[in-house]
Amino acid sequence: MTDSATPGGGTVELVIDGVAVRAEPHMTIVEAAWAGGVPRVTGVGCLEGVCGSCRILLRHGPDVSVALACETFAEQGIEALFLPAPTAVRHQYELTDFTDGWDIQARFKEIFPEASRCRHCHGCVRSCPKGIVVEEGIALAAAGRFREAGEAFLECVMCELCDTACPEQIAPAHVGLFCRRITAFFHLRPPNLIHRLEELRQEPFSSAGEKESS
Amino acid sequence: MSRLNANLLHPCQRVGDNLARWREAGGGEALRLGAANPAAILAAVKDADLRGLGGSGFPVWRKWEAVASEAPRPDKYLVCNGNEDEPGTFKDRLLLEETPHQVIEGALLAALAVGANRVVLYVNPDLTRSLAALQAALARWHNTEFLQLAGDALGQAITVELVPSSGHYIGGEETAALEWIEGKFPFPRGKPPYPAQYGVHGCPTLINNVETLANIPAIVRHGADWFRAQSTGRGTGSKLYSLSGDVLHPGVYELPMGTTLGDLIFVHGGGLLSGKPLKAVFTGGPSNTLLTPADLDVSLDFDSLRERGAALGTGAMIVVSEGTGMVKRVAEYARFFAHSSCGQCISCKTGTATISRLLDRIDTGRGTAADLATLESLCRMLPGTGRCHLVNGVAQLLDSSFRHFRQEYRQALK
Amino acid sequence: MKRGLSLQAALAAYRPDAELAPLPEQIDPDRLLSFFHPDHLRDSVTTLTVGPNAGAHCQRELADLLQAEAVIDEVDLAGVPVTDTDVLVIGGGGAGCAAALAAAEHGARVLLATKLRLGDSNTVMAEGGIQAAIEPGDSAQKHMQDTLRAGHHAGDPALVAAMVGDGPEVIHWLIRQGMQFDQTDSGDLHTRRAGGTSAPRIVHCRDYTGLEMMRVLREAVAQHRGIEVWDQHPAVELLSNERGQKCVGAVLSSLADRSLRIVRTRSVILATGGLGRLHLNGFPTSNHLGATGDGLVLAYRMGARLCELDSFQYHPTGLVNPPYLSGKLVTEGIRAAGALLLNAQGQRFVDELQPRDIVCAAIIRECREGRGIHPDVGGVGVWLDTPRLERSQPGLLERQFPKLLARTRVAGIDPRSEPILVYPTLHYQNGGAVIDVDGATTVPGLYAAGEVAGGIHGRNRIMGNALLEIIGFGRRAGIAAALSGHDRGPKKITLEHVNRARRALALAGLPLARRAPQVLPPYAAMGKDS
Repeated sequence: MTDSATPGGGTVELVIDGVAVRAEPHMTIVEAAWAGGVPRVTGVGCLEGVCGSCRILLRHGPDVSVALACETFAEQGIEALFLPAPTAVRHQYELTDFTDGWDIQARFKEIFPEASRCRHCHGCVRSCPKGIVVEEGIALAAAGRFREAGEAFLECVMCELCDTACPEQIAPAHVGLFCRRITAFFHLRPPNLIHRLEELRQEPFSSAGEKESS
Repeated sequence: MSRLNANLLHPCQRVGDNLARWREAGGGEALRLGAANPAAILAAVKDADLRGLGGSGFPVWRKWEAVASEAPRPDKYLVCNGNEDEPGTFKDRLLLEETPHQVIEGALLAALAVGANRVVLYVNPDLTRSLAALQAALARWHNTEFLQLAGDALGQAITVELVPSSGHYIGGEETAALEWIEGKFPFPRGKPPYPAQYGVHGCPTLINNVETLANIPAIVRHGADWFRAQSTGRGTGSKLYSLSGDVLHPGVYELPMGTTLGDLIFVHGGGLLSGKPLKAVFTGGPSNTLLTPADLDVSLDFDSLRERGAALGTGAMIVVSEGTGMVKRVAEYARFFAHSSCGQCISCKTGTATISRLLDRIDTGRGTAADLATLESLCRMLPGTGRCHLVNGVAQLLDSSFRHFRQEYRQALK
Repeated sequence: MKRGLSLQAALAAYRPDAELAPLPEQIDPDRLLSFFHPDHLRDSVTTLTVGPNAGAHCQRELADLLQAEAVIDEVDLAGVPVTDTDVLVIGGGGAGCAAALAAAEHGARVLLATKLRLGDSNTVMAEGGIQAAIEPGDSAQKHMQDTLRAGHHAGDPALVAAMVGDGPEVIHWLIRQGMQFDQTDSGDLHTRRAGGTSAPRIVHCRDYTGLEMMRVLREAVAQHRGIEVWDQHPAVELLSNERGQKCVGAVLSSLADRSLRIVRTRSVILATGGLGRLHLNGFPTSNHLGATGDGLVLAYRMGARLCELDSFQYHPTGLVNPPYLSGKLVTEGIRAAGALLLNAQGQRFVDELQPRDIVCAAIIRECREGRGIHPDVGGVGVWLDTPRLERSQPGLLERQFPKLLARTRVAGIDPRSEPILVYPTLHYQNGGAVIDVDGATTVPGLYAAGEVAGGIHGRNRIMGNALLEIIGFGRRAGIAAALSGHDRGPKKITLEHVNRARRALALAGLPLARRAPQVLPPYAAMGKDS
């Protein structure tokens, strides 16, 4: 995993979770933490940037940013700190509570009242490791344009760094997901699937195999 | 004590919006003197070595000189900062509520000194009584000769406007105040440019705290020597200390600058509640460092506190006795500041939110050694990374509480 | 001197418009597999000596864990807090979430405990899509035949029938949870054809199908009033009744401070996923960090029968370069869309849409016979010819495979102009715990769903059946567990099964030094303290 030779040689020194670490420059922060024996690194999951777990705060000279450790590379003099997992979901809703597609916007405002209070600090946009136009997505959602808003969040990995970044507690990642879910729930009605479901309702699938076992 | 409430909070100043009583006690005299010789105002303030009493301790005359040397574009602004919102600080609201005329007079003198033609009284709308008193007082001023007098001295009309602030804590930061006055969300600006060069709508702008401006009339009237003599130690003049927490008599005390912490707590504050031992004092509002019983002898002035690694700040002293959990206290303050972060700087918003979250976890018995280690790393990583000082304050508070009370954090771990 | 070409030389020789020779005649698939598939590497397989599968073949690294001592003793349970619930779901991936939701929908109080964070799983990384026979020319019967044939007829027909029959309803259920799928202009679900199948049957959400599925299910679980979630609480042992014959709970250990919790329950659903992080035969893996085969270890010690323990799926197109992404997948969807595989000589060597085991073995043959491409940092691979695909269908990569582009962008590679170096990577556990159509294992009270369960894919899985299986059988297990007998609960919760297993190990003369489950791979646990 971490034992491949370095082209060009030369190691870098950095600090991870308060521990001084020496690493190869092609290593990610996760690999550098492992190689350096940094204790208690538990926020690691997929190692390819889609599970959103390995959230780090990164100090690079006077600049502080956030990132995913599995996609960030070791550099001389930087300091990385694994952040605790996001807080529990604050906005409560169940899709099955929605019965009428006409009142989605009203319901959205009840569930996410903060979404219309964006103060345009851009903290969410700067925090997003996936380059999502979070602020625009929130504006679309607040305007009831749920399909377009949801599309803006296609690449969201739910690291929730934008939620931590938002001073109005909008929880943008969850707003984006709400928009995607509500769009599927009310508008995804594919004829090929519906037709097959209807056929199966008329004549459920059975096979020799299933008959034997039941 | 004869030196208590000798000046700003002297009973003759505490007349609310009653203009007649204020004038009987000499109100308005300083403005006449200042209008007659505007150049003398800055000189007197410089001689008096008045410092910024909103928390910075920065020499007032320096800011004034910077604004005075700028040409109007086309206006020049003076902003009286009354956004007071920090936990444990409650002095400006008292000055505004009980001595509004003194504050307005001070603001006009400052405007004359730097050549500002637009005066903005910027007040936290949550301080409803202060806002009402100031509004009533200002209405009375419009029926006096004072504004005309000042305008004549300046050579152009002076407008005085009352602008309720956003109520956000961060709105007290001076560049954030400018943004709000321009009609925008109070985000702190990057500096430079400083407000003296580029303030409200790009005009040169002086912004001073309420208490700072309230001191100007007395300096003009009685002179710099008198002002310097008000102090007992280093520093000059008097200071309004907001004393709160586990003391018998909490409240605002105007005392000579440099009064010792021990005198403030035990002589004026009546000592600790139920006679419990003193544990610590959150100074200057809690975005600063902690003092402990070993510091009871310290003079409460800017320089003496700095030598102890602390800061006078707004002069707030939150006293806690043995029996108070430091983790819970620090967690509460951290939550306040995390909630107040404006969101512009990732270091500040995400940093303080993480601090607050981990402190809550430790305080509620769910914290681990890893959480404590993360907090220690944050204390090291965050200072100096924000546009304003909010993030520094939180890191300082946390760091200071670690230095004095690490054991309590350890004991609270799972 | 390595045989084959260096990466630079191969890149220099590469032309996206080069004329391709016709595909050479293919050798017999069984011969190809037996010579080149990693399952058949010398010394990779051993025979189990204790437990329900004694005498069966098993990959060596797995056998070491199945025949290991437990990590806890009875004395460790003194004073440990006990939590009661109706159904305990172990695992927070797609199968675990589907099981938890189904159980909660059927009235059970559910506790879902997961090793990492809810949603950290192989599900979230799945790119290609999910199989469901919904197109006019397709049927559940064809889906079943494809599944059984690709699995070399080792799968259980009853389980396969249950899975393929669930297909359309699973998609319907996912849409009702709020999951989006790509559509055609007329609004139909867009389908792609997977390797080894007779009809286009893969429905998908761009190449983010797993991510879309996982974030929707995670939100649904987090929002559900009847489900409690414990993150970072891996299971380190199951609990049995006084006779060691029924599963009545589990022991969880906090990842943060290793403190233990006991969960007492009517039913336990194992949804712990696979074991890629054991790096069988030294292969890299596409799996997430927690895939260490814990569920198999716990089930086996409890007495559950397992199957196909010597059969693993190596995905043909794992990345070779850059090193930090070594073993991570390039979706099969890209071959389904028409991308070809080329060796160092720039020639095709296999029908790219053959079943995964065949394609894998063919790639390994090319490399072993000197037609591989070697980067500086180690490893070897063949080209996945993405530029040619882009030339024939301009804009396709950006439209349908945004994840591939996003990930390679971080590494400074543009697959639209540069082919991707790929090599097989350990991807999937074909077998697992033996289950019935309700997801019940051979131990009462213990269910299994998802990759930890076996019997469906036989000895090779086709693309898109994993996502179908986790939802279909996750829901089946959840429902069965929720509706299982409302007895008065266990008289005692014990480690009787651990004692039994320990006795068997001792009698067989096996060492008791090694402990399992592993929870995290050794390189990730380095420096860990408490």
